[in-house]
Amino acid sequence: MAVTADSIKTLHPLEIRVLRTYKPGDHLTASLLCSDLGFVEGQANQVYAWLTAKQLARDIERKVYNVYELTDLGKSWLEKGTPEQRMITYLENHGPEFIPAICTALGLEQKDIGSAFGRLSKDGAVGMTEEKRVKLIDKQKDTLSLAIQAVLTRVQKAGGSIKEFELSKEEQATAGSIAKKRGAGDSPLKLVERETITWTLSDAVLAIQEELKSMPEQEEIGALTQDILTNGTWKNARFRPYTITNRTSRVIPGRHNSYVQFLESVKDKLVSLGFEEFDGSLVETEFWNGDALFMPQFHSARDIHDVYYVAEPTHADTIEEPYFSRVAQTHENGGSTGSRGWGYTFDRAFSRRLILRSQGTVLSAHQLPHAKVPGKYFGIVRCFRYDKVDATHLSDFYQTEGIVLGEHVSLRTLLGFLEMFAVEIAGAKDVKYVPGYFPFTEPSIEVHIKHPVLGWFELGGAGIFRPEVTESLGVRVPVLAWGIGIDRMALMALGLNDLRELFSYDIENVRLRRTVMRGNHA
Amino acid sequence: MPKIDVQEQLFFELLGKSMSLEELEALLPVAKAELDEKPDMSIPAQERTLKIELNDTNRPDLWSTAGLARQLRTYLSGTTHMYPFFSAEGNLQKAKYTINVDASVQEVRPYISAFVVSGKPISDAMLRDAIQTQEKLCWNFGRKRKSVSMGLYRINLISWPVTYHAVDPLKASFAPLGFESVMNLETILNEHPKGKEYGHILKGNKRYPLLSDSKGHILSFPPIINSNDIGAVKVGDTDLLVEFTGTDMVSVALSASIVACDFADVGYTVEPVAVNYSFDTPFGKMQVYPYYFQLPTTVDVAKASALLGKSISTDKAREALARMGVESEIHGQFVKAWPPFYRNDFLHQVDLIEDIMIGIGMDQFESEKPQDFTIGRLTPIEQFSRLAKNIMVGLGFQEMIYNYLGSRRDFIEKMCLSDEGVIRIANPMTENYEYVRPSILPSLLQSESVSAKAVYPHKIFEIGKVAFIDHSTNTHTNTRQRLGFLSAHGTADFNEAANIVSVLTYYLGIPYEVIPAEDSRFIPGRQAQLMLNGKSVGVFGEVHPAVLENWDITMPCVAGEFDLECILQERK
Repeated sequence: MAVTADSIKTLHPLEIRVLRTYKPGDHLTASLLCSDLGFVEGQANQVYAWLTAKQLARDIERKVYNVYELTDLGKSWLEKGTPEQRMITYLENHGPEFIPAICTALGLEQKDIGSAFGRLSKDGAVGMTEEKRVKLIDKQKDTLSLAIQAVLTRVQKAGGSIKEFELSKEEQATAGSIAKKRGAGDSPLKLVERETITWTLSDAVLAIQEELKSMPEQEEIGALTQDILTNGTWKNARFRPYTITNRTSRVIPGRHNSYVQFLESVKDKLVSLGFEEFDGSLVETEFWNGDALFMPQFHSARDIHDVYYVAEPTHADTIEEPYFSRVAQTHENGGSTGSRGWGYTFDRAFSRRLILRSQGTVLSAHQLPHAKVPGKYFGIVRCFRYDKVDATHLSDFYQTEGIVLGEHVSLRTLLGFLEMFAVEIAGAKDVKYVPGYFPFTEPSIEVHIKHPVLGWFELGGAGIFRPEVTESLGVRVPVLAWGIGIDRMALMALGLNDLRELFSYDIENVRLRRTVMRGNHA
Repeated sequence: MPKIDVQEQLFFELLGKSMSLEELEALLPVAKAELDEKPDMSIPAQERTLKIELNDTNRPDLWSTAGLARQLRTYLSGTTHMYPFFSAEGNLQKAKYTINVDASVQEVRPYISAFVVSGKPISDAMLRDAIQTQEKLCWNFGRKRKSVSMGLYRINLISWPVTYHAVDPLKASFAPLGFESVMNLETILNEHPKGKEYGHILKGNKRYPLLSDSKGHILSFPPIINSNDIGAVKVGDTDLLVEFTGTDMVSVALSASIVACDFADVGYTVEPVAVNYSFDTPFGKMQVYPYYFQLPTTVDVAKASALLGKSISTDKAREALARMGVESEIHGQFVKAWPPFYRNDFLHQVDLIEDIMIGIGMDQFESEKPQDFTIGRLTPIEQFSRLAKNIMVGLGFQEMIYNYLGSRRDFIEKMCLSDEGVIRIANPMTENYEYVRPSILPSLLQSESVSAKAVYPHKIFEIGKVAFIDHSTNTHTNTRQRLGFLSAHGTADFNEAANIVSVLTYYLGIPYEVIPAEDSRFIPGRQAQLMLNGKSVGVFGEVHPAVLENWDITMPCVAGEFDLECILQERK
């Protein structure tokens, strides 16, 4: 490893202390570092691992040794005595007794008392009366219990664990007799295998140590604190560099919804093209939703399977005059619009029926009586359809619609607007038009665009409002009407392929969605 | 919008030339048609069909192989086709066949039109097309047989004249198509599949329509079902009677015209049928079908030029109309146009102007940059909502957007509310989309309930619409723009909600003024109403554990909802 200023910079202060203290060849262990440098065992192990990883240290020897750890049972023996000692104390106080009674009195299991009796009787400390009661013979014969107590006390004083080689031969024998490796819950000591690594610095550190000699033993700053800034100690310290490639923990920011942002960007674009936004009520009347758009009351799109009806209340109080009467007459015989009308009897009660808005064009109709000439209006509004909800149909969704009023607007002006939308909103270069059909416009056209990603598709429908629509609502100039479908572009921009995802309830899903940057494609 | 199967071989025969699918696709827009599905080329040409979608609901003449071919052929040649078998006012054809209409049908289904086709046996392709015409015409144009239905009959079994009358349902019986057994009309309505499907059209009438011949043999029970003998037409039959009954005389007459032209185009002879009414009708008592009833419409070519944005001469207009099948004559700047025999869709001169546009060709119209200057702007509430939204985002909240329809369970029951004031849909498709949301809170809680696995905290909000019943308005309902927020995490409490409201009110420029609230969705004593000029403009607090439990939420939540329109109005 080449020594550079950088390699020193990346050394942790703990590593530097080791490098400043020892030289290659010194036998180092965790316990040595703890006693020499005041490290805790964890720090000593960490430094060993870091230096080894950088190939600045190597192992000399790995030695396995045993450690005895005091168990809960061991602690209880220290406190209350071994089962043998407790049996002797009981017999001293109560005289000879049957084994089960001793068990009950001492709260010990029969097998423990049984083995305690076995050992004590072998050592000659207790015996059995003729009626099979246990009797005390000589309590001095129980020397083993004293030895056990002595070992347990040593372990406890060493902090709950002790290395085997620190015990005497006799102590090792005693400890071995009461220790288990596994299932140590019913023995007073647990036997654990440990490893001592003896390691040393490699020759590679010599250069670093040389470098370190020339460097003053500066204080190194980890976290920059208010104190450090106040007392200025940072001026004589160096900043420990951090591992900048580490991934930080999760930050959850406040964010705009990417679909809403998409809709807003379209609104902003339309505003920049001179359109004024309109909006309206979710609940509409059949009058505005259909009649005012010259859709006959028997039109298939006004069927119970296409429009949602409000259950209660069912009807609006009134429909604004003179529009109501004019529209009714226009349906019946064309009124004064130059049309022959649909030739049926208009149902005024049906007109007041309350429904959920089924098309954005409703708001264009609402706007007409109040519209300025020249005037441009648009809305991106929620509409409701009687549709089975799936990847391409929603029960409520947005429609983007608008109108243009002007003395001299014409089909060719309409094409001009559609071309602007294609370029400005969809980023398309190629546009084509074909004749279309909408109940409220004549002529009607469909606009198809070549989207840079989606290829050719229908961007929307447009036309010039029928005079039956405009004249009944008091407008004498031609009115261009258009609607564009932006959901496919929204899905594409958001990387989705299911309309339901636009209105997702899933918080994680929504907050991980990237924001769409909609540039100006012009 | 109807989709039809077009017999590929017959279609190109009728078109008078064959073309590639690409060429056809380029031509179809003339009929507002588009190729819906490419044909399966593994099938032999004589059996192949093209699936075509027709967009114009006012052009039922296009909904058949012959009709679509006719429009495209006319467009390519620029010449209209004459059908000499039509009668017109004051010029009725001599008819060999007669149908007498009894006054009894006047109340139930008053009108009938008919003609006879002869000259060659019916082919499989033509029979399939006729059945398709019957379906499409009667479903879309005939409003599911309500205003028009159609029947085909084997003429050699009929004894003329035929009578169209209405009878007591229990007193007339015959074997309906597909059945050997004789049933009375009531039984047919209750048991025959077509009776079950269309019976509702006749429900409530004392007498049902019936078509029978002079010997009392029954042809059919319109608009339900044909008889199993006279009405069982099959391939190879010659000389068919085609009839239409319905409630709208114009539609009944037009349907006969359309189908007669279709048969004539494929080489059948169309023979007129006289219809004698015993009551007065818009076309008089005595009629002969097919009948040209349409009236001319005049188009002002100056007006057409203005509307299309292009100077068009009267000659050019006349020529363009001819390509659409419309005969016309020039009178100064006006062109008087007669609808083709099979069309009746000129309500206003703008309908002719569109035909002029199509006749000239869409590619002849260049786009023009708009000239009028207007100032664009967002609605005040949109602007105000964006202001509020930016504050919420600054507070660390994720903006959400939800659907407005939902279930009773989510909007009412889980929220511990009654259904008072909530807008219900009378004809929901499923109970999952039966109510309009009266509040944003259930949407936010639904989000929380499906997001328990997402890293906390959850801070979400939506600015959107709610609607509810409000008898003070003309529509008895009210739509409002609201802001709703929800914060869910281990230590969410009232203080947090109050802090959010305090920040919002400060930056929205209204005072933070609250009074205790009593809303069952929040914990009593830990909820407040935000007041503005003495009006409550919203509520916030700790969401009640009963509500959380209903949503299976086990994380404390605070939430609030404010009426932005009300705040915008009051702060002015």
